[in-house]
Amino acid sequence: MEFGCRDIASIQAGLRARRFSAVELAESVLARVHAQDVRLHAFLEVTDELALRAAGRVDSAIVAGAFDELGPLAGVPIAYKDNMNLAGTHTTCASRMLENYVSPYTATCVKRTLDVGAIPIGKLNMDEFAFGSSTETSAFGVTRNPWELDRVPGGSSGGSAAAVAAGMVPVALGSDTGGSVRQPACFCGVVGVKPTYGVVSRYGVVAFGSSLDQVGPFARTVRDAALALNALSGRDPLDCTSQECTLDFTANLAQGVAGMRVGVVPAFLEAEGLSAEVKAKVEEAAEQLSRLGATIVEVELPNAKAAMSAYYVLGPCEAFSNLSRFDGLRYGYQDAGHDDLGGQYEASRAVGFGPETRRRIMLGSYLLSSGVYETYYYPAQQVRTLITQDYVTAFEACDCILGPVSPTAAWRFGERSDPRSMYLSDMFTVSINIAGNGGMSVPVGVGAHTGLPVGVQLVAPAFRDANMLRVAAALETVYGPAPTAPGFASERAGD
Amino acid sequence: MAQHLTEQDVRRMAAYTRIGLADDEVPQMTVELNAIIDGLEPITEYDLEGVEPTFHPIGDLSNVMRTDAEVPGFSQDEALMNAAVREGGSFRIPRILGGGDA
Repeated sequence: MEFGCRDIASIQAGLRARRFSAVELAESVLARVHAQDVRLHAFLEVTDELALRAAGRVDSAIVAGAFDELGPLAGVPIAYKDNMNLAGTHTTCASRMLENYVSPYTATCVKRTLDVGAIPIGKLNMDEFAFGSSTETSAFGVTRNPWELDRVPGGSSGGSAAAVAAGMVPVALGSDTGGSVRQPACFCGVVGVKPTYGVVSRYGVVAFGSSLDQVGPFARTVRDAALALNALSGRDPLDCTSQECTLDFTANLAQGVAGMRVGVVPAFLEAEGLSAEVKAKVEEAAEQLSRLGATIVEVELPNAKAAMSAYYVLGPCEAFSNLSRFDGLRYGYQDAGHDDLGGQYEASRAVGFGPETRRRIMLGSYLLSSGVYETYYYPAQQVRTLITQDYVTAFEACDCILGPVSPTAAWRFGERSDPRSMYLSDMFTVSINIAGNGGMSVPVGVGAHTGLPVGVQLVAPAFRDANMLRVAAALETVYGPAPTAPGFASERAGD
Repeated sequence: MAQHLTEQDVRRMAAYTRIGLADDEVPQMTVELNAIIDGLEPITEYDLEGVEPTFHPIGDLSNVMRTDAEVPGFSQDEALMNAAVREGGSFRIPRILGGGDA
C-alpha cells in the first residue's frame, strides 16, 4: 500500500521493524506527489530537500535505537496549508501578493510537528488568504476534488483535504476561520478538526480573523488526527491566546459512547438549503450513536441563525485590519515605477490582491467606519455573546452536538459564482468559530443522491475537544476510516 | 436590493484601504458590496438592549507580558531578505516628503 494511504501506526511499525527506512518512505511519498498532483494541484510547493533531510534524521534515530523518543509524528509525512510559515519555503497564501515571499521563520504549529519527527512534504493550495469555500480564489489555479475532478475540494483548506483524500500524505494541517478545515474535510471525505480556540498557537500563521482563526489537522483516521493534536496543542509564549494543554487526545478514543449525551439541533435539520442526502446522513449517524449506547437529546441554539451575518461582519473587519500589513515594501508584491509612496501602495495592493480579497478588505473598512460600526460591528459582538451563551446552555444538556457540516456535498467548479451563495455553504460551521468551541468533520460514507463523500459535524464544549474525538471514533467503528478517493487508491499490495 | 453604499463611498474606501480600483471596477464592486451588506441585515434586527459584547473568545485575557530579557531576533539580512528594493541595510521607498515641484 502507498505510504500516503497508511495510517500513522502502520508507518511507524514499518519504520521500527526496519521494513523500510524513513528516506525510502520520503522518496516514495515525494514520487507519488510529483506523479499524482498534476491531476489535483493540491500542492503549491513540494519540499523534497527538507523532506529528505528530516527523513535522514529519523533514520539516524532508528539506528541509534531512539525512534520512540522522537514523538507522536516520528516518520510521518505531513504537508501544510500555504498560510503557515516554514523557514526557507514560500508562504504565498495562494496570493500574487506573496508569490515570491520566502519565510524567514517557522510557525509554531509547523515547528511542533517537525520537533516530533514529522517529514515535511510541502505546502498546500488554499483560497487566497483563506477567503473562500472552494479553493477557487487561489491565484495559482484551483485544486480538484480527488473524488470527482470536476468538483471543488471545498475551502479554504482545499489543498490539505485533497492531499489527504488522495493518499498523498496521511496528515495535513489547515486553518479554520469559519469552516475552512471542516468543510473541505467533508467534501473530500476525510477527518478534519478545528480545535477550541486557544488549543493551537497561531504564531506564524498568516492571520485572517485573529479572534476566529484556529489551526487543525486533516487525517484519514480519528486517531491520527488526535495524535497530530497531541503534537500541536499547548501554550506558546509567542501567542498569548494559546492555552496550557496537557491532554492526551487519544486517551478516550476507545471508550465508546455508552452513557454520553449527544445533542441534535432540530432547527438545523429543517434549515432551508439542507440537502436531503446530508440530512439523511446526520439522522443515520444519530441512530448509529444511539445504537452504540449514546443518548440522543434535542438542544436549541436559538441565535445560531444570526451567526452567518455576525461572521460576515466580524471576519472582514478583522481581515481588513490584518491585511493592512501588506504594503509591498518590507515583503510582498511591489508595483514598480512609482515616484510617490501612496501610488505605489495602491498599485501594489490592487495588483497583489485578487477580487475576493479586495472585496473583504473594503467590506471590513466600510463596516468599521464611523456611524456604520454601531449598526453592524458592535451588534455582531453582542450577538457573539448570545451565540456563546447558547452553546454553554446546550452543553448543560449534552456532551457533544451532532449536525451537518455543509448543507450539500461538493459542487462543480463555477457553479457558485455569486459571493453570497458561496457564503451560505458556511451556515453550519461559522457559529462555532464565533463561540470559539471545537468542531470537527467526520466522514460517514457517501450521499445517496450524489455518491459523493458526506461528513457530519461534531461540536464540543470549549476545551473539551476530547468529547467530540470520542464520538468521532465511535462513528468510525461504524463507517470505517476515511477511504482513499477511488481514483487514487493503489492496487499494489503492501507489506 | 438596498443601496447601502454609493459608488462615491466605494471610491472613498478604496482610497482608505490603499487599493487602487480602476474606474471601470467601481460599479461592479458597488453592486457586490451592497448585495453582501444586504445579507448582514439580520444583525440589525436583534433586540440587543443590555447585552454585553464579546470581542474575543478568551474573554478573561489581560495584557500578557514576558520577562524583559534579550532574545535573538532577525539579523539585518533576514529582515531585508524579502524587500522588493533594498539599499545598503535599508528598505528603499519612494519619496514621502516634498513633491517634484518643491
